[in-house]
Amino acid sequence: MNKKLVFRRARQVCQIFFLALFLFLFRQTDYTGLDTIPYAVNLFFRWDPLAAAAVTLATRTVIPLLLPALAVIGLTLVFGRVFCGWICPLGTLLDGTARVIRPVSRPLRPLRHIKYVILTVVLVSAAFGLQLAGWVDPFSLLVRGMVIAVDPLFNALVTAGFDAVYFHGPGWATAVSEPVYDAFKSFILPYKQSLFIWPAVSLVMLAGVFALELLGRRFWCRNLCPLGAMLALVSRFSFFRRKPLLACKNCEACHHECRMSAFDDDRRMMAEECNLCLDCLEFCPKQITTFRFTPPVNRAPVDVTRRHLIGAGLTGITLPFLVKIDAVAKDPSRRVLRPPGALAEEDFLKTCVRCGECLKVCIQNALQPVLLEQGLDGVFTPRLVPRLGYCEFNCTLCGQVCPTGALKRLTPAEKHAFVIGRAVFDRNRCLPFASSTPCIVCEEHCPTSEKAIRFDEVVVTGAGGAALTLKRPYVITDLCVGCGICEKVCPLPGPSAVRVYPAGEISSDLYPV
Amino acid sequence: MDRREFLKQVALWYAGIMTTAPVFRLVPRAMAGTSASPPSGIIVSKGEDYFKITAAVIEKMGGMGRFVKPGAKVVVKPNIGWDRSPEQAANTHPQVVRALVTLALDAGAASVQVFDRTCNEERRCYQNSGIKPELEKIKDPRVKCEFIDERKFVPVKIEGGKALKEWQFYKDALEADCYINVPVAKHHGLSGLTLGMKNIMGVIGGRRGQIHHDIGRNLADLNTVIRPSLTVVDATRLLLRSGPQGGKIEDVSIRNTVLASTDPVAADAYATTLFGQTPDAITSTVAAFEMGLGEMRLEKCTITEV
Repeated sequence: MNKKLVFRRARQVCQIFFLALFLFLFRQTDYTGLDTIPYAVNLFFRWDPLAAAAVTLATRTVIPLLLPALAVIGLTLVFGRVFCGWICPLGTLLDGTARVIRPVSRPLRPLRHIKYVILTVVLVSAAFGLQLAGWVDPFSLLVRGMVIAVDPLFNALVTAGFDAVYFHGPGWATAVSEPVYDAFKSFILPYKQSLFIWPAVSLVMLAGVFALELLGRRFWCRNLCPLGAMLALVSRFSFFRRKPLLACKNCEACHHECRMSAFDDDRRMMAEECNLCLDCLEFCPKQITTFRFTPPVNRAPVDVTRRHLIGAGLTGITLPFLVKIDAVAKDPSRRVLRPPGALAEEDFLKTCVRCGECLKVCIQNALQPVLLEQGLDGVFTPRLVPRLGYCEFNCTLCGQVCPTGALKRLTPAEKHAFVIGRAVFDRNRCLPFASSTPCIVCEEHCPTSEKAIRFDEVVVTGAGGAALTLKRPYVITDLCVGCGICEKVCPLPGPSAVRVYPAGEISSDLYPV
Repeated sequence: MDRREFLKQVALWYAGIMTTAPVFRLVPRAMAGTSASPPSGIIVSKGEDYFKITAAVIEKMGGMGRFVKPGAKVVVKPNIGWDRSPEQAANTHPQVVRALVTLALDAGAASVQVFDRTCNEERRCYQNSGIKPELEKIKDPRVKCEFIDERKFVPVKIEGGKALKEWQFYKDALEADCYINVPVAKHHGLSGLTLGMKNIMGVIGGRRGQIHHDIGRNLADLNTVIRPSLTVVDATRLLLRSGPQGGKIEDVSIRNTVLASTDPVAADAYATTLFGQTPDAITSTVAAFEMGLGEMRLEKCTITEV
């Protein structure tokens, strides 16, 4: 193997390692028989400097959970955007599709400035209290897309295949397919089929990033990724760089071959655009490129104009106010149930980076993405939808995987006492009230050790005219924690006759009287 | 065959298989259970070693060999319904389950399946009830403590059912050569107590909440489909209040008792008395007795303590 190929292989091995790590942690984001998840499954968010900056600005507090992000900044200060080229799993996946999704057009004129614009909008908005990182953070896009759409879709497709054999295949085929299915379930598939509201939305967003490869390799990374933009700015000061800094006259190789398009029209190399893929070691016809430690000299300016930045800044200031004047966000009847351990609503919205980790780990598939229910501000934040799945009384996993502390890590005792909401009976529908039918499934399932749902025994006249003793449920509101198991198990068709409503403190700022 | 042709064939086969509606009907066959021959015998044992007293009860009944023939497919059906620890008395005690599984293995069972359709999340229930960890210690591949596989629920016509005409049952429970019912005796808001009859809820599919609308009669109907060879009631700890899942240790009364009978109605009737109630207080016991599923009049039963 020639020496230059060794570097490329080393980079590929590194990429595959981190992709494998990412997928492993994704799969480990689940209950495994222990009440505590033994791995730092949210690692990729915790070392994400974009998430760290946006959350710190929005909340004006330093979140210790996000300190590993400093390590990525340090790495970038020395080696440049090596994170983008060697570590980022989204970048690796985009590289992996290069053979399948080929650019259809000639390269567009450079759009590198867009990523700086996006970064500015996100950070300025954060400073004014609106958290937009979840829309554009590469890990949020990737993990959310996988959690909500790709993983459930994958499971549904594979399971349908095995089910077809199970239900219709001959005995010998099942004897072969079932052990294979078991192996799949142990190592590749999620524990069970999960369902999410509108998976198509997250799928289209993620697929869009891949579709952009049609316009050029690493299109997302070069032109749009705000994390890439952030690391690019840091890498202006990095020491490890490609030489020469100027592409040679009469040779277009650097211009045409560089997957990051790191050369401007004057042939000058932009170190901040280079992701150190090391391809140019190979494709240079004269074999003169090298990478070495040198003082950080930048010949070309950052490819963004003052006008772009001013526009981005103004947009960043305006968007938070656009949200502030939205009645949807202030309408108490649209409040959603937040997962246990959630900060107060305003702080929660600023701290949550919409990564989807809590949706993934929720053992009852009870957490769902908010779409437009709460206005722009709430999009992709988690909500509890008890009719689909209730909050398991002894489970504390969502607080353990939240990378920003928007959901606090709760002890079992704190979890048992945490009020997600309160249950309310609809006596017009509840069977013992509405049709004198015995039921009490809600009381049976109520998990608080002094039951929050109790019943009165009453004697009524039954359908046949005979006396009938009935148990009619009611809620002891102070004991109810809003886990929603009553709403889940209510045997009525359609909406449950007992429903959980948010019960958190209502801030006067959020709801001016 | 080139690649294109191959893919086309696969797609067509797959489409063909997928578009066929699943058809799965199973006629319930009479369970191989030993019918209760009068007078119904109830064996009771007390002690702090729950493995030992369970084994003692079975020994007194004539040994596990009476129920489990060599090569038999055995189902041991405990209550694993809730994400609660053994001290909280919401699930069958793991030592009682382990004793029955061990005895069935010793009797030459080909396989011993242990399962329950849980109310809380199944992985948490299996784990925190202590039952799965305890059975893993046996280290015998014949023991299968598996989660419910939704595909295995099949509709069964309930011949002679008074309230229910058809319901989904778990295939493995229907097909067992020997079905051992191991409920935990505890308080229940609607039915008063939950005992052996109610434990059948863990092998049925569908929306189980509907069973509650006429719970005594419905449970009796369901119990005509699956007739256990043996009912072993775990009364080692009794959950007296806030059932069926409890949560407070103060609500648990330690009784160190295991009882067994081949008559499921007699077993429930006797267990009811441990709570200071009479058998007729439990509607499912009365309904099952009226349908001829067993004896609820304890004066007609022989009660043996070992």
